[in-house]
Amino acid sequence: MYKLVVDANKKGLTLNLKELLRYRDLFLILAYRDLRVRYAQTFLGLLWAVIQPLATLIIFTIVFGRAIQVNTGNVPYPLFAVCGMASWSYFSFVLAQSGNSIISSQEMVKKIYFPRLVIPLSKALVGFIDFLIALFFIVVLLFFYQFPPSANLIFLPIYALTCIISSLAVGIWLSALTIRYRDFQHVVPFLVQFGLYATPVGYPADMIIDNLPGWATVLYYLNPMAGVVEGFRWSILGGQMPSTYSYISLAIVFVLFVSGLFYFRKVEKVMADIV
Amino acid sequence: MSDVAISVEDLGKKFMLGHQKASDFRNSFGTKLKRLVGLDSNEVDIEEFWALKNISFQIRQGEAVGIIGRNGAGKSTLLKILSRITEPTTGRFELQGRVSSLLEVGTGFHMELTGRENIYLNGTILGMKRAEIKQKFDEIVSFSGIEKFIDTPVKHYSSGMKVRLAFSVAAHLEPEILIVDEVLAVGDAEFQKKCLGKMDEVSKNRGRTVIFVSHNLAAVERLCNKGIYLKNGAVNYIGSASETLKEYSSGRSWPENKINIDHEIVRSIEVSQIEDKLLIRAYLDNYNYLKPPFLGFNILDSAGNKLFGSNPKLSGFDQSNLPFKKGYVETLLSDLKLRNGVYYVSVWIGDGVYDFFEGIECLSVHIKDMIDNKYHPEVTNLGPVFPEASWKIIKA
Repeated sequence: MYKLVVDANKKGLTLNLKELLRYRDLFLILAYRDLRVRYAQTFLGLLWAVIQPLATLIIFTIVFGRAIQVNTGNVPYPLFAVCGMASWSYFSFVLAQSGNSIISSQEMVKKIYFPRLVIPLSKALVGFIDFLIALFFIVVLLFFYQFPPSANLIFLPIYALTCIISSLAVGIWLSALTIRYRDFQHVVPFLVQFGLYATPVGYPADMIIDNLPGWATVLYYLNPMAGVVEGFRWSILGGQMPSTYSYISLAIVFVLFVSGLFYFRKVEKVMADIV
Repeated sequence: MSDVAISVEDLGKKFMLGHQKASDFRNSFGTKLKRLVGLDSNEVDIEEFWALKNISFQIRQGEAVGIIGRNGAGKSTLLKILSRITEPTTGRFELQGRVSSLLEVGTGFHMELTGRENIYLNGTILGMKRAEIKQKFDEIVSFSGIEKFIDTPVKHYSSGMKVRLAFSVAAHLEPEILIVDEVLAVGDAEFQKKCLGKMDEVSKNRGRTVIFVSHNLAAVERLCNKGIYLKNGAVNYIGSASETLKEYSSGRSWPENKINIDHEIVRSIEVSQIEDKLLIRAYLDNYNYLKPPFLGFNILDSAGNKLFGSNPKLSGFDQSNLPFKKGYVETLLSDLKLRNGVYYVSVWIGDGVYDFFEGIECLSVHIKDMIDNKYHPEVTNLGPVFPEASWKIIKA
């Protein structure tokens, strides 16, 4: 028979991932709800998910491609940019959504038990739509420019996975932090905006490595997405291997993810009391 | 023992009053810094508050337990701990079996989604599996009685329809332990009855354990066989439902038999026993209406069951003193035959269309020697009203 023991004297944190698995139906239906509601009563509907990245791509092409004339080697600039945007847009979506996610579902949090991690996780699932649309853009542009994808494509799943984990890591941290300190509600939009330029989305990472001193480059790669975006692009378009610095990013992703899970568990215990 | 469904040992929950203020980054950082430097060791103006303390009890499988107590006695906190929404500060508890908690109906309902989608959403939130909902779907829909609108977004529903839909989902939960808060306060009476019936049926027939918190003492008495009376965060009494209710009623402070009201028109209301009659009267001021004032009332027993009530529409009104600016409006009730005991009075005062004043159980009256009978002076299990009865034998 199913048995549950709650003991206030037991110290220590367990992640309870097994329980999370039992709540997978909830995770799926929350994602479904968000998807259904996202474009409800809009005239253009899902088309918005296409228009937004398209507009960004056009602006990037004009600013970085034409005006600044960033050197992207033999890769046409729009193709270069769209490969960076694919993983970045997913990351920024998850960040923006999950930061506020628990506060916006506080009615639920206060009235019923479920592993709270389900909420930010479901936001990560919703973001897949944008990710898929960006991938579609990449395929279209590859055909348009008759650009053969590189053999590194076998690494794409690995970088896509790292992108998801990286987004989740920061998303989980932010959702827990926002509960504790509402200040983070204001930090998130800033992070997203700032990150777009602090990540090699619209320009190659070499520009940073070549033009900045070593310590600044290390600082640059503390951004978990720096390595992910670089690797993601490399696995599609080929060219130079991601720099050794990018391993800093990957390590950061891992550290953030594991620590985020534990911090979230810690905050979860008092979530219903302070939300 | 194997048939214990819920066992609670020394449970306690502490809240920090004023803690919430410290929840922005700067304050929290500031206090941490001060603590680090050694400034302000005892200056923290945080007050501890124990919402629950030393709570211990056991509930067997199949028991329906009512938790009663005044506002702030810790009922909701206890439910929130047992349903794992918050964690206890001290103690431990064990639950044997799958738990569903119903602290609200329609948790997670989204207005943009259709009734069908909301059934799945709400059901999943309440802990049902997708397959389980699919299997019960038709039953849920027909129980709610809104088949026609099942594919309409819920935002176009009336509030009654929303409640019915939400209740139907909740009524089809099949956990081994069900934890229910004061959710039955919403919804129309007919539907409430249907849901109470369904809950009753489930707990009695299938051996489900139910924990039920309510201010509706009548519902507790009807549904539960065991009661826990919480007072100031501690268990005051555990026993059978009826004994617990009795204990609760005796230890309760009753409202006065006269209240003064800070209202433009209604200034005071009082109830008093005059020999074998009951007088309810209100003092009105600035009554600038041509129509007679409308005083409706309800008399309730000490458990909150409505006994009877009336209003001028039903029993007529002597209009000879109309119009008036200030004065009393009163009603004299005769032939009541109430047994000795305390009774609640609810009062409404209005112009017949709108209520100026509404006071649910706002007054109480101690009835003494209203009936001339030496043998049944107190309210007994015969009920509060003692009718005039004559007994004889007719030979055939």
